[in-house]
Amino acid sequence: MSMLDQAPLLAPAAERTRIPAFGWRDRLGRSLRRIILLTLMGLVLAGIVHILTVLLIPIMAERDASSVYAALGSGGHAELITPAPDGLPALAEPDPNSVGAVCGFDLTGGPVRVVAQTGALPLGLTLHRHGGGVAYAITDRAAIRGVLEFVVMTQEQLDERLAQDEDGETARELRVVSPSPQGLILARVMLRRPADRADAEALATSVACGSAD
Amino acid sequence: MRVLELAYVIALGAGLGLASAHYAVAERPVVGRAQIGAWTTWPKSGARDSDPYMRAYLARGVHLPLGAGEGLLLIAERDDAGQPLDGRCRYGVSGVVPPARGWSLTVADPARRPLQLTVARESFSHAEIVRDERGGLRIIAAATPEAGNWLPLPPSGRFLFLLRLYDTPISSHAGELRPEALPRISRVDCR
Repeated sequence: MSMLDQAPLLAPAAERTRIPAFGWRDRLGRSLRRIILLTLMGLVLAGIVHILTVLLIPIMAERDASSVYAALGSGGHAELITPAPDGLPALAEPDPNSVGAVCGFDLTGGPVRVVAQTGALPLGLTLHRHGGGVAYAITDRAAIRGVLEFVVMTQEQLDERLAQDEDGETARELRVVSPSPQGLILARVMLRRPADRADAEALATSVACGSAD
Repeated sequence: MRVLELAYVIALGAGLGLASAHYAVAERPVVGRAQIGAWTTWPKSGARDSDPYMRAYLARGVHLPLGAGEGLLLIAERDDAGQPLDGRCRYGVSGVVPPARGWSLTVADPARRPLQLTVARESFSHAEIVRDERGGLRIIAAATPEAGNWLPLPPSGRFLFLLRLYDTPISSHAGELRPEALPRISRVDCR
């Protein structure tokens, strides 16, 4: 038997010894690649969950200021929240040098008119939407003859009003579009000295909020 | 095997996604923050177009932030040298305050709640300050009584300074303020 005849017989034996070693490494490599791929998929999913959670928190909010204080001010005037009314949670990050009074509003029953008389102390009115965030802010510097007045409405209600306006006539009211049908009007008065508290509370609670029609 | 892989992906995605979202909005978010010297502010926190992280943070508590145009809140957790504010030290707050119709400087705990101290003085307003002959501002914050504008501190532990500017023209461009335009916070000494 020649060497040439024996060569094909040796080759399968050598392959038989190499295959298990090569297969083990291959399997490990494949598993590692699979774990990395699954981890990357998990990270992509985590990114989606992160974004959705951050966007959903304001929509699902039940403990934000406008939900907690929604019932205040139903009598037509703003009610004090400094100190917090009985049974309601206190304001986070309160300023001891200011007093606040709020009116909860619900625009499903029509636009809401807010009227504030200005006084000697700095007064700011802000519209806080449901789910947190300021949608509109105005200070008493914008008052005309000592009165700050604006009407809060939804975009649909604004469109309706614009359609009803007479041609060429300018609207006599300041119209503010609220991004959410429910929200809060906050009247905040700064105290210059602690003795100003009674005046500031009277000024903040004198803010009227009622139906605009 | 397939079920295990799917469970791994879902657990990783949901766990990491929810945990990172919670972490991102549990405190005032890093997004939209402006650092001016020792003071931190979020210029868009009271704007109509505030970012989703700020909105989520505000939605998680009873927050009624100052509106853009109504005022601006600045928070200091550290002094000018970068050291955390500590009740065992004395601090001098001096310099200038940006133009505003009124301002208040408050001491609060790290959760920004009022400190429950025996001395009923947790803040100063612009009208309550005794100024020096040049009209400068100088407030001493310390746990023990001091002459002049003394702001009591807790005997120990961390605290914050909160500076609120009411009706200030700078609220729209607060992020561009220079540190010299805000009060300096310098540590005098420590016990």
